[in-house]
Amino acid sequence: MLNDVTFGQYYPVGSFVHRLDPRFKILALIAFIVLLFVADNFYSMAACFLLLLFAIAFSRVPVTSVIRSVKAIIVIIIFTAVINLFFHTGSHLLWQYGVVKIYREGVIFTVFFVLRLFFLVMASSVLTLTTTPVALTDGIESLLKPLSYIKFPVHELALIMSIALRFIPTLIDETNRIIAAQKARGADFESGNIFKKIKAVIPVLIPLITSAFRRADELGDAMDARCYSGSKNRTKYKKLAFGWRDLVAFLSVAALIAGVVLFNIYAYRVYPPFYEYIKVY
Amino acid sequence: MTEEPIIECCNVGFSYPEAETKALNNVTFSVKRGEFLSVIGHNGSGKSTLARILNGLLEVDEGEVRVLGMKVSEGKNAIEVRKHVGIVFQNPDNQMVASIVEDDVAFGPENIGVEREEIGRRIDWALAAVGMEKFRKSTPARLSGGQKQRIAVAGVLAIKPDVLVLDESTAMLDPRGRREVIEVVRRLNKEEGMTVILITHFMEEALLADRTLVMNRGEIVLEGSPESVFENGETLETYNLALPRISSIIAPLRKAGMNIENVLRPEELAAQIIENLNEKGIYSAQSSPFVPAVRECAHEWDVDVENLSYTYSKKSPFASKALSGVSLHIDDGEFFGIIGHTGSGKSTLIQHFNALLKLPQAQKHFKKPKAKKGKPAPVLPSLTIGKFDLSDKKCDFKALRANVGMVLQYPEYQLFAETVFADVAFGLKNFNPKLSEAEVEQAVKNSIEIVGLDYEDIKDKSPFDLSGGQKRRVAIAGVIVTKPHILILDEPAAGLDPKGKREIMELLHKLHGEWCNTIIIVSHDMDEVAENCTRSCIISEGKVFACDYTANLFKRADELFSLGLDVPLTAKIAMELGRKGIIVESDCTTADFAARVAGIYGGENA
Repeated sequence: MLNDVTFGQYYPVGSFVHRLDPRFKILALIAFIVLLFVADNFYSMAACFLLLLFAIAFSRVPVTSVIRSVKAIIVIIIFTAVINLFFHTGSHLLWQYGVVKIYREGVIFTVFFVLRLFFLVMASSVLTLTTTPVALTDGIESLLKPLSYIKFPVHELALIMSIALRFIPTLIDETNRIIAAQKARGADFESGNIFKKIKAVIPVLIPLITSAFRRADELGDAMDARCYSGSKNRTKYKKLAFGWRDLVAFLSVAALIAGVVLFNIYAYRVYPPFYEYIKVY
Repeated sequence: MTEEPIIECCNVGFSYPEAETKALNNVTFSVKRGEFLSVIGHNGSGKSTLARILNGLLEVDEGEVRVLGMKVSEGKNAIEVRKHVGIVFQNPDNQMVASIVEDDVAFGPENIGVEREEIGRRIDWALAAVGMEKFRKSTPARLSGGQKQRIAVAGVLAIKPDVLVLDESTAMLDPRGRREVIEVVRRLNKEEGMTVILITHFMEEALLADRTLVMNRGEIVLEGSPESVFENGETLETYNLALPRISSIIAPLRKAGMNIENVLRPEELAAQIIENLNEKGIYSAQSSPFVPAVRECAHEWDVDVENLSYTYSKKSPFASKALSGVSLHIDDGEFFGIIGHTGSGKSTLIQHFNALLKLPQAQKHFKKPKAKKGKPAPVLPSLTIGKFDLSDKKCDFKALRANVGMVLQYPEYQLFAETVFADVAFGLKNFNPKLSEAEVEQAVKNSIEIVGLDYEDIKDKSPFDLSGGQKRRVAIAGVIVTKPHILILDEPAAGLDPKGKREIMELLHKLHGEWCNTIIIVSHDMDEVAENCTRSCIISEGKVFACDYTANLFKRADELFSLGLDVPLTAKIAMELGRKGIIVESDCTTADFAARVAGIYGGENA
């Protein structure tokens, strides 16, 4: 059964991170991801982790829900980690069994790789946990705005996304209603083999699709009646504005960029004997 | 009100492509600035088409439509016309483009290029006009139907139109929602001088207007003040329109020799009854007391609910409690009513009756709750229907569902098969896979015929080609085909016109006792419950507020009003009479009520 009231991951508390401008959050996430891949030593990585910790702490979302997002891709991470571990070559052989060789560089790289993915997923989930889908859409629309000069249909795209978001809860409700109605008529969605299960979906799918078309029709009329005529001469009410929070957050991200760059360049000076263990080749 | 016509329709004709008859034929009327016009007609009479030609959503084939002197039919000035004529449609869910109220209200002004600051002011004004200022940042998915529809009105108002058209905008709302929307519209008309065209099939709403048009088969057949239109009682019925309920009380009173004029409001009728009685020298009286008929029953299929609670999205930040500690008993063979607002928990309750929602004990990963410090272990709910114990994991839920039929709201939206036959047979084949073809055919035939459709004519048609009323009947046939002992219907008459409503209730009475032993209807229409159900319960905020003979429930009018619920017309009149010393006890049906009043007038029980 589908979940009834909510979709997406948004966690409704009004924290510092929640109130940041969605455009800034999107850009900050992109910057963060780039830094994760630019970072080539554990000092840089630790700096990234520090910022991530701050973000989670100031977002006031439960840590469990951030960690849950990692669980979703844990299989992929383990799989690629194992492959990396066995196939990464280097100069310090640690362990050998037949053709299988594990190098110290391989171990370092694998740990680094796993951390990179963990942080990436956790940071993305901080974005989705603290930003409503609507705000995300607004942010994306605003960031894509320059593309409208090369005739890219930014407004239409944004409207499509906005309508899709608007109708997801409605259609989920509707699906639940139809499932209930067909269950009451003895439909069985749980037992049977895969073919039976696919067949069982038809009595839900057809009414759902018909209803979606009916809704689309009515929505079209309602939009027409409210003078919709495409993006021509259209004004926009919603305006995103940067505030002091964004400045604070921007400074933190800037500090991180500086930190990662500096560590990348000067990491060997911190404690030279350690250097070969913290650097990724 | 000035004499300047704001809308003029002259000999307008329109037909949909591939339709045999015209949807509009020779329609001529005009609307003055500041006027409140109501348009009534049965489903398919052309009234929604009328709304759509006024702002160029549909282009007329014949004649012309002028808005503020602009000819609408030219198509080019559609946007210009739509700035002046705004329409609010029927389904509140299908009119919103944005997930946040203020963004949605802004949509119209954005489209016509209003400047940003001005849009802000218009949102303030429009939301205040519909009384929804507090919900500016809310999301429509969490609002009630009436609230959503008020947002839709605000969305149109923000364009600052001269004319507001409501195309059956209240048809899908519960009484509270309907009242909210109608109040907003009346206030706009009175205070802001907004011209209003209210298209409806609720006669009580049509009465609020200055002028009423009656439509039948695409033509305007009657026109005048609401009072004068409703004078034409019999004529209205030939147009498939039901008279306001009050007239079915007036008629028998007149027959009893009372001198009663046509009136439309309960207080007016009560005053007239008092006048009649006073003339006869009757100043205080009491009718014979209402004694509910005691029914014998076998108690084989009783419904017994104890301490039922239910919370949606438990353990999430969006958890919402739908039921808390509901206990209820419904006897075998009753025609039972469940009354409550949208969101009161009544739909959640009935979904438990055929295990669409299961009790916690019947769920897969159930752990018995333990007693916590100082508190006893929470009492588990129980629910039995006949011999089925729904708190038992091993209960045969499929057999239960075959015996407890459930017709959900707007059941026509669950039709899916290629033919009516296949759709009706769907449930039967699910429950009894071993039935022979002949047996299935016989059962389907019986079922389609009992809901009043022609089997031979309809069995091979696609359910999607049927009319709204037919679809609903087919959907009901698809549930009763298994001959369930108990039939539960969630708002069976919702969205139908008065005639369709009456027919559905007649159908239920035909089924009751013969085809299905017990009938349980969920409704928010008090008159519907009063006319049909012997016993009812009121659900409010997840609890059973009261459960009693329907007539006794409606004696507690004040309490019902405080819950935001209404009482039926008969109870309202009885209340007025009671204040003047005339005590009328009845079972709250119009027939019984009228008979008892006539009895007092005739000198019985004086």
